[in-house]
Amino acid sequence: MTATQSTGWIGVSAPRREDALLIRGRGRFIADVSPAGALHLAVLRSPFAHARINGVDTSAAESLPGVHGVITADDLEGIGAFPTVWRLPGQKECHTPALAPGKARYVGEPVAAVIADSRYIAEDALDLIEVDYEVLDHVVDVEAALAEDAPVINEHMGDNVIIEYTFPGINALGVAGDLDGAFAEADEVITGRFRIGRYSGVPLETRGLVADWDDLRQTLTLHSESQVAHLLRTELAAALGIPETSIRILTPNIGGAFGNKWDRYPEDILVSLASMRLGRPVKWIEDRRESLQATVHGRQQLQEWQLAVRSDGALLGLKGRVLSDQGAHLHSVGIGPAWVTGAAAVNQYKIANYHCDVLGVATNKTPNSTFRGFGGPEAMFGIERMVDKAARKLGIDPAEIRRMNMIGADEFPYFSPGGAVYDSGNYPTALAKALEAVEYDRLREEQAALREQGVRRGIGIGSYIHVSGFGPSAILGMLDYYTGGYEGSTVKIDPHGRATLYTGMIPMGQGTETTLAQVAADHLEIDIANVRVVWGDTDQTPYTGFGSAGSRSNVAAVAVIKAIEEIKAKAVRIGAGLLEADPEDVAYGDGRISVKGAEEMRSLTLAEVAQQAYWGHKIPEGDQPGLEATYVYDPANFTTAYGTHVAVVDVDVQTGKIDWVKYVVVDDAGTIINPLLVEGQIHGALAQGLGGAILEEFVYDEETGQLLSSSLMDYLLPSFTDLPDFEIHHLETPSPHTEGGFKGMGEAGCFPAGAVVANAVTDALSDLGIEVDETPVTPARLWGLINAAGG
Amino acid sequence: MAETITVVLDVNGVGKEISVEPRKTLADAIREDLGLTGTHLGCEHGVCGACTVLMDGEMVRSCLLFAVQGAGAEITTIEGIGDGGELHPMQRAFSEYHGLQCGFCTPGMILAGIDVLRRNPDPGPQEIREEMGGNICRCTGYQKIVESVQAAAAEMSKEGVSA
Ligand code: FES
Ligand code: FES
Repeated sequence: MTATQSTGWIGVSAPRREDALLIRGRGRFIADVSPAGALHLAVLRSPFAHARINGVDTSAAESLPGVHGVITADDLEGIGAFPTVWRLPGQKECHTPALAPGKARYVGEPVAAVIADSRYIAEDALDLIEVDYEVLDHVVDVEAALAEDAPVINEHMGDNVIIEYTFPGINALGVAGDLDGAFAEADEVITGRFRIGRYSGVPLETRGLVADWDDLRQTLTLHSESQVAHLLRTELAAALGIPETSIRILTPNIGGAFGNKWDRYPEDILVSLASMRLGRPVKWIEDRRESLQATVHGRQQLQEWQLAVRSDGALLGLKGRVLSDQGAHLHSVGIGPAWVTGAAAVNQYKIANYHCDVLGVATNKTPNSTFRGFGGPEAMFGIERMVDKAARKLGIDPAEIRRMNMIGADEFPYFSPGGAVYDSGNYPTALAKALEAVEYDRLREEQAALREQGVRRGIGIGSYIHVSGFGPSAILGMLDYYTGGYEGSTVKIDPHGRATLYTGMIPMGQGTETTLAQVAADHLEIDIANVRVVWGDTDQTPYTGFGSAGSRSNVAAVAVIKAIEEIKAKAVRIGAGLLEADPEDVAYGDGRISVKGAEEMRSLTLAEVAQQAYWGHKIPEGDQPGLEATYVYDPANFTTAYGTHVAVVDVDVQTGKIDWVKYVVVDDAGTIINPLLVEGQIHGALAQGLGGAILEEFVYDEETGQLLSSSLMDYLLPSFTDLPDFEIHHLETPSPHTEGGFKGMGEAGCFPAGAVVANAVTDALSDLGIEVDETPVTPARLWGLINAAGG
Repeated sequence: MAETITVVLDVNGVGKEISVEPRKTLADAIREDLGLTGTHLGCEHGVCGACTVLMDGEMVRSCLLFAVQGAGAEITTIEGIGDGGELHPMQRAFSEYHGLQCGFCTPGMILAGIDVLRRNPDPGPQEIREEMGGNICRCTGYQKIVESVQAAAAEMSKEGVSA
């Protein structure tokens, strides 16, 4: 790469511009935002899973020196709560209140807040608040919550079923399958029942907020880590009853988010309100225990599947029931992840006959909401385990049964009976490439030889699709998803010919600032050093209702390209006038505006044209002075990333421990903007997928309803020694639906990981007849299975 | 206000007298009283390593110490790494090899990486994984951190500098 370069910025591992501050410890994270005179807020949380709150006595807390105020539910008169943005038909509303009104429904639910001179004093004051709790029966198991006599968590609902949603197996063209026919034709019906564990993003940086109300201007400046600041602004204005024009949200560096920081939370209201009422800046930094209790959890489902198969290996039909353990309230996305599970469950296979019932069930636990993967990894766990079970039953190799049932490269667009439209891909090639990378045939021979020596080696395969780049707004509307799927970008060329790009996307580790600068530099054909990216200020950036979630850098990238196309067209019009040529004969190239065929002689730099554009002396008729454009891009379709993973593991039957031998990823995320960053995203997502496969779990005590994993000593994040080296190979099938061919890929790595590990361990223990149908596969859980099987 | 006591903290070669409550942690004192916010808090209970600083050359978790325990020691934080305006080879390697994403664990990781090379200037990948096992990263999956530390080791042995 030369010092200045005008083309070829897409597809190169440009260094991250985010790094310069971060490697010096000069990043500015939310805890580093400390306006003068800031007060500190701490939240009192319910110690009980289910308890009526008969009274809250704050007098002792209020009289502690250094305490400025206490907020209880009684103080929230006229203050609203955040809505659930995904409101599927039939979904009973039970969204999260700012403070538990009259009843706490999970351990960690906010009950009151104290505002004091320091966090230390605020916490002292929490101890002085007397809450009169009347402990009620609780339920933390999803099946128990469905029992006739289960305690009802949200009384107005009558029972604990939030929604029963059916996927009838009709594709987007309106074609229905014949499920009964498929099961009648089947030689075998394979059944599976899977418990997918509860875990979450657990960013290393907890949540936090700094609110600063200016009483004279009547404005609220909120420093927030929200992944979707504009939507937060809209919802916060409604909840607080102030005009949205009064709120400005600023985003600091974010220490990881992983979907968890997409949601709106009670503290957004509490901290803002505290600042408004006290007229001082108020800061709240979540501690780790609070974070594990009160930042949304993810995943947990109980799935039951039946797969109709023919003896030659054809997968004929799939029917299932998914119980989604939602926790006590619906959070920002409702039962969205479980809906995605139902929509994606047929995965890469030509299973035309499908039916799935998805039940959202309330339990006395932390709300289950947005987390990287968003229902996809759960779907992949179900189907990829089922396919392996079918292969074993029929005596067909698990790779072969996948290959023979995969949608072919010539069958796109593919209309799945889950309702999704798959855009493009080559599934069998990805599988073949993964098998080749692990030397599958040799591996099987080696496995047999090792088995003789008493080494239990297992090979696990998992293929996946990831419906990403959410989505055409009209389709979101049809799904009762009350936000838009578009992304906007404003690009301004300054009079010196440099570009500033404004985006609603929020960098949180994925390198958005760098990749969008690459896209802009590539399309303007200027050096990347001449592109500045502005993010994290709702006063400046284009509105987005989706923001940095759902792997949508691809959507934002197209918005940048489209805005630049408008700028180039205008530069050509202005340039043509200056060059005294017909605009038809003038073209943009290499950062210049030139007469075609006379590039050497009759040509202007972007800076020369930009200067003219701002002088405004010679603007063509119909154009305005200046050189900027805003484009709001609403994608034409979702994109589908996909791939296959293969894991090779050794299992120690004495301890239940899993040792990694190899982990191979083949994926296709369309056109890649920055290969190094893509690799980083795959590694990171995969690490989270494997964490949930082997270690991470929010464990609740049935007896007491307590969250047992509320420190990092009990909630095990994978460490350096828990994870393997990853070997990654790419296919690049450009998406036909997005300009530039980009597909979203920030989540894909976590999709098949759970299934791959469960398949590998099941394979390693095949002689014991053990089926790994529950995650995480901790050593203790695995040892229990081995022991029960007499191994 | 609770009773405060006076401590002198010597951080990155600069001594400063601060007055703190006895219960204030070293991490909070470094961040709030000295304004060095590169030391991060990920758990405040000794598990994650985000708050790592060097105390008389030894890695410690500043969330587990009181500010008063820092008195008399030479403390180095991420802001004291590198030579004047020059980046330390470990910092350069993290950026070049994509050893960071969100950057929250990074100050602790860079200090831990330097600490590893101090004890073993040429560690293999497995040694790095074991030696750095006390620092958690939620973003990278670790492989690129391992590569970064190896690259820094190679760079430093080429330049003949020690960690
Ligand atoms: S903050 Fe000190 S170890 Fe986590
Ligand atoms: S880079 Fe985000 S925690 Fe390590």
